[in-house]
Amino acid sequence: MKKFDILTTATTREGHNNQMHFLGRCFTWASLILICLVPIAYCIAAGVMPDWKTLGACMSFVAGYWVIGLIEAFSYAPLLGTGGQYLSFITGNVANLKLPASLNAQTVAKVEQGSEEQEIISTISIAVSSIVTTIIIAIGLIPLAIFQTEIVEVLKPISPYVVPAIFGGLTMALLAKYFKAVAIPFVLCIIICVVGNLLGFGSSLSQSTMIIVGMVLSGISTVIMYKLGKI
Amino acid sequence: MVESFAIIYVLGAIIAATIILMSLAFLFKALKRAKAIGMDKKVVTEAIKNSAIFSIVPSIPIVIGVGIMMQFVGLAIPWIRLTVIGALQYEILALSNAGAAVIGADEVTIATAVVVMTISIISGPLFNAIFYKKYQTKLLELQQKNERKMNAITGALLGGMLAGIMSSLIVGGIFGIGNPVTDASGITTYGEITLITLAASVVLTGICGVILLVGKQKWIESYTLPISILGALAVAFLFVPVFA
Repeated sequence: MKKFDILTTATTREGHNNQMHFLGRCFTWASLILICLVPIAYCIAAGVMPDWKTLGACMSFVAGYWVIGLIEAFSYAPLLGTGGQYLSFITGNVANLKLPASLNAQTVAKVEQGSEEQEIISTISIAVSSIVTTIIIAIGLIPLAIFQTEIVEVLKPISPYVVPAIFGGLTMALLAKYFKAVAIPFVLCIIICVVGNLLGFGSSLSQSTMIIVGMVLSGISTVIMYKLGKI
Repeated sequence: MVESFAIIYVLGAIIAATIILMSLAFLFKALKRAKAIGMDKKVVTEAIKNSAIFSIVPSIPIVIGVGIMMQFVGLAIPWIRLTVIGALQYEILALSNAGAAVIGADEVTIATAVVVMTISIISGPLFNAIFYKKYQTKLLELQQKNERKMNAITGALLGGMLAGIMSSLIVGGIFGIGNPVTDASGITTYGEITLITLAASVVLTGICGVILLVGKQKWIESYTLPISILGALAVAFLFVPVFA
């Protein structure tokens, strides 16, 4: 199949995958260029230059987020599928929106893990989720522009509870299927969180930090269980 | 509120349009492929409907995030930042690092903050644009050679994610009882409400499961998660005045 033969329907999984990669790379580069144009456009419109000294001081922060971004891209890839990976890392909100949307659709569709059907359902759900979110944010600008912070004050108090509202139900739905994979890292993560809070650095153990800790612990426990033939 | 430049709104509109175009392109290709391999049309339609309904509620905090950030940098920049890879907690940290998380920051400070916010988050998409195809090919090879191993890896990643989030919510909730935490964006989290919301979501999912299995109401399967999210948030909304 020709690389640019993007409009035809691929006859093989590999062909379809190549088309997805081609689309993903084109859109990722286009989006990156547009995203990087924002600070340039701001500086031109405002007639200012960034404060280079402050920018230099922020480099450790930037480096930290570069590492987190790479870890996330590396570790979420097997879960999101080809299309989902490209879309999620342009639209963001992976752990709290795109991945749960994909997992929910996969659970309802009852697709087999690792199958092409799983890959397709994941891509569909993340694409639909990205469209819905982009539209809601754009529509949300209207009340924000009119009422400004008044509307924020009404809705702000419940915003920290969206993640527990999603993951309470999602964990229930997935627990039976992934019990063996969840049990050991969950106990270890609980211990780490309790000890961390008792030692006074609980604020460092945010959800995003604990996702990475959980994945590392889960990886180690899975390797051990795999070698013992328990999974 | 800080005024935004028209050019930033124009760029925001182009970025939002690009994201919708990208999503439509992937959706179109996935639908075509689903048809080609003979997937049940009903399953595909259900996935679309389900994902659309599911995504509505979790999108609202993103709009709130735009509202929180707009007092520091105007409306257009948060719109762009939260439409693309950014997330509120990270953006607020980036603003703080650049000294722009204050009302009345000057244009040089805002320009610096926008540069920091932009360059910090591009490693993920850069990885995808340069290395992801090779990485994914290796994953597919592993899947074909040793399905059990690949399933173990996928299960481990998913299990680790669930374990990490749930432990953070439960332990953070317990230690937050009587000890509310206010973050840099001014949002206060009460441990009691976190635990109540989590419990409500679990209970509502359980009730939906009973209706599905005992009442044999198959339709509820597609709506279980949206029902539990909305119901749990309604419970959280009721409890906010109690603890605040």
